[in-house]
Amino acid sequence: MLAAPWVCRSCMVSLRRVGRAQFIRRFSTESAPNLPPALLERARKLTVEHDQLTAGLENDFDPKKAKRMGEISRVASALKEFEKAKAALGELHGLLESDDAEMRELAKDDLAATNAQLAESSHNLSVALTPKHPFADMPCLLEIVPGPGGTEGRYFADSLFHMYKTYCANKGYRARVVKYEASDSDGSTGSEGEIPLQEAVLEVQEQGAYDVFRGEAGMHRVQRVPATEKSGRTHTSAVAVWVLPSFPESDVTDFEADWDKPESDFYIDPGEVKSEKMRAGGAGGQHVNKTESAVRLTHIPTGIAVSIQESRSQQRNREIAWRLLRSRIAQKRREEREEAARQLRNSVLASSQITRGDKIRTYQFQQDRCTDHRSGANVHNLPDVLRGGETLGKVMESVQTWLVNKDIQGLIADEEAAAVVEKKRK
Amino acid sequence: MPRLPPSLFWRASKEISPLAARLLPVCRDLQSAANELRWIREHVKSTQSPVPDGLRFWSLVEKRATGVPLQYVLGNQPFGDLDILCRRGVLIPRPETEAYTLHIANILTKSSSTPLNILDLCTGTGCIPLLLLHSLLASPSVAGPISLHGVDISPHAVRLARENLAHNIRLGLLPASIQGPNSSSLGSGNPSQNPNPYYTLKFTEQDIFSPSFLSSHFPSSQQPSTQPSTQSNPQPTSKDMPKNDLDLLISNPPYISSSAFTSRTTARAVRQHEPRLALVPDPISSLLTAYSRESSHSGGSSQKVYESCHPADVFYARLAEIVGMVRPKRVVMEVGGWGQAMRVVRGFVVDGWGSHNSFSTHNMSSGDGSGYESSESKSGSGSGSGSDGLLGSGRGQGEYEIEVWRDEPAGENDAKHWAVVDQREVAVRGRGLARVVYLVRRDCWEEDEGRKG
Ligand SMILES: C[S@@+](CC[C@H](N)C(=O)[O-])C[C@H]1O[C@@H](n2cnc3c(N)ncnc32)[C@H](O)[C@@H]1O
Repeated sequence: MLAAPWVCRSCMVSLRRVGRAQFIRRFSTESAPNLPPALLERARKLTVEHDQLTAGLENDFDPKKAKRMGEISRVASALKEFEKAKAALGELHGLLESDDAEMRELAKDDLAATNAQLAESSHNLSVALTPKHPFADMPCLLEIVPGPGGTEGRYFADSLFHMYKTYCANKGYRARVVKYEASDSDGSTGSEGEIPLQEAVLEVQEQGAYDVFRGEAGMHRVQRVPATEKSGRTHTSAVAVWVLPSFPESDVTDFEADWDKPESDFYIDPGEVKSEKMRAGGAGGQHVNKTESAVRLTHIPTGIAVSIQESRSQQRNREIAWRLLRSRIAQKRREEREEAARQLRNSVLASSQITRGDKIRTYQFQQDRCTDHRSGANVHNLPDVLRGGETLGKVMESVQTWLVNKDIQGLIADEEAAAVVEKKRK
Repeated sequence: MPRLPPSLFWRASKEISPLAARLLPVCRDLQSAANELRWIREHVKSTQSPVPDGLRFWSLVEKRATGVPLQYVLGNQPFGDLDILCRRGVLIPRPETEAYTLHIANILTKSSSTPLNILDLCTGTGCIPLLLLHSLLASPSVAGPISLHGVDISPHAVRLARENLAHNIRLGLLPASIQGPNSSSLGSGNPSQNPNPYYTLKFTEQDIFSPSFLSSHFPSSQQPSTQPSTQSNPQPTSKDMPKNDLDLLISNPPYISSSAFTSRTTARAVRQHEPRLALVPDPISSLLTAYSRESSHSGGSSQKVYESCHPADVFYARLAEIVGMVRPKRVVMEVGGWGQAMRVVRGFVVDGWGSHNSFSTHNMSSGDGSGYESSESKSGSGSGSGSDGLLGSGRGQGEYEIEVWRDEPAGENDAKHWAVVDQREVAVRGRGLARVVYLVRRDCWEEDEGRKG
């Protein structure tokens, strides 16, 4: 799809394009592509606001207003497109009533294309209305942790780690291993020579990586016969993958990056963090000479703890630990807010949400199959998936589409819920 | 050391690499072996040599496997943001030292007074003054010139410390300095490149016990003052050097008694590979014979003091003399644990080490880090000394305020509680083992506290 150097914008655009194609297919096989009135209402309101802002800015430039205008201009232009397509369809329907047989034939020919156009513009409008995920433009951290249970999960965690790492390499995304720790409690290696992983963290350093990978978060299930299994019985184990927004190290951009401001998701009160150096007992100081200077940070209010011994440098370990802690806390705060929003819209929508416990994907070795339970994507060629090849790309794209549609549904539900509240108040 | 189970070796070689199994006996666990292997690999990759990488990698691993500390194998150790070169014969900088050095740098940047004048005794690799310099230069509030001086008895250490300055300048971690006219030349000073950094850092080879040591450094503080002077008039200032008032005296002196050195308190790798001179105070006789004649006129009582104090504490007795004569604004002394911290506090509180034979008989072994609770109650040992020392005997008395810092002085929201030593309250800060005895002259302390409130 893309060669290095990576431009996240174009990547997201092309992902959206895939999404659109499927959306159109669905819409055009169904009957009238109608936007829910609540959404249309919202789009109209925003367009009015947009036009007012435009008028106002002509006289008197205000950067705040200009920013707001930029944010909603997408909606305004999408609405205009949508209305154009709708008008065209109306005209066509008029022609279908025509007395002239030739005219009717011509109109019939155009009908399919115009319907498709309307479907596309209505989808675009929904996408424009869907607020961008607040972390969407950020780099991300992929945290891979085996589920409880045997060594199988740990080996598979290692496989997933390599899968994402090579996927990034294939795509030309800059990625860096932040943490890669072997587990300490088991024996042999896996059938593919994997090591039992305890925890790994991979940072995808490209801006916008969060949006590309956010669909990977959740429980990944593996079904296969372990190398050590004599009776040939299939084992099922699970690996958790968490996707955290990563705080960009250098070139700080304007979004959530102001982590030293208390209103930021990334803000941590240093007084709430307990910092320990993990040293192996003893008198310390001149008496011992340990190479490692592991750093452990615990955020007392949430109990979130990180420990890092990647580098020989104490300073460096401390920096990594703080960054990881910040990311985890930001993600948690975000999840809490999303949960609150979800409860609000539950009355309207009973759609499935990704929560920490849900299995999102299964890797079935006997059947050489990988199934995503949300998008319903089902692909073969498991080796290519685990090599981070195009087959994995396909699955990830299907999830992207699913996420976008889910966000739209969520938005519709929110608007409808709001409309109900509004009505009651009147 | 307990034997490692054979299964661990098997796992190391299967799960990580056969070379990890070679490192297991020195690293003791899989994770450390994997880490060190990775660091050695990274080191090989990042350095150039005519020898093929594979061969270099293998031979470094083999060297490490014989027990040579990784810092000697790779030749360096990160220290704060700096890269400190390490060589056999000079002590490897420790993470505890790094932590309190950053902490005191932070205190110094908050206190407004520049120019700054800093002396590090027993400087080793020079890591302490180098990191102090780095931190002070990074602070926007430190404007004036900074003068730092590191002293060590070992010519190897002094040479390495000078190399370390040049090395970090080369790496771009420190600016080249504008050399003062009378400082010994180090590094590659290039004034045109760095318009601003006004500092001098010199390292000299000296024995801090030598009577000439003090006169060479502080020509005006010749008279030993057992009676604390009023300290009213500051030393004369010269134009191009910071004023002679010492802002910080810092030292990580040898503090392990020879018995603790040979016991299990001291790790084998330390005992076998790091210089004894850096760790164990010399036997008193040899330490003093050279100076006993010279010093008879001034510090005549010194020898007795060194003989009677705990053998691990000899350097602190000397540091106390120096503090008494020079009256620095702040003093930072690394210690080996709670027991030693308390002995040092006592030594300063009663202004006497020799009169205090008792502290070598306390059942607090040097540097075991334990016995904190028990010693807390040991207020009012039978000293009954009528004369207050530098520190006075009650809180808020004496010329200096005294604190004990634990391994992480800034940890836990600057946690602070009090311990009572000889009826004097001592603030204890941070978490972990007792690591530093900190003295701060009352005028500066009040300044610091005022800023906090
Ligand atoms: C524990 S090492 C500290 C090195 C360095 N400051 C650090 O923290 O890594 C003690 C140093 O004191 C030096 N030393 C020992 N006796 C000394 C003396 N009488 N005068 C000056 N330096 C001495 C040793 O050479 C050694 O470098």
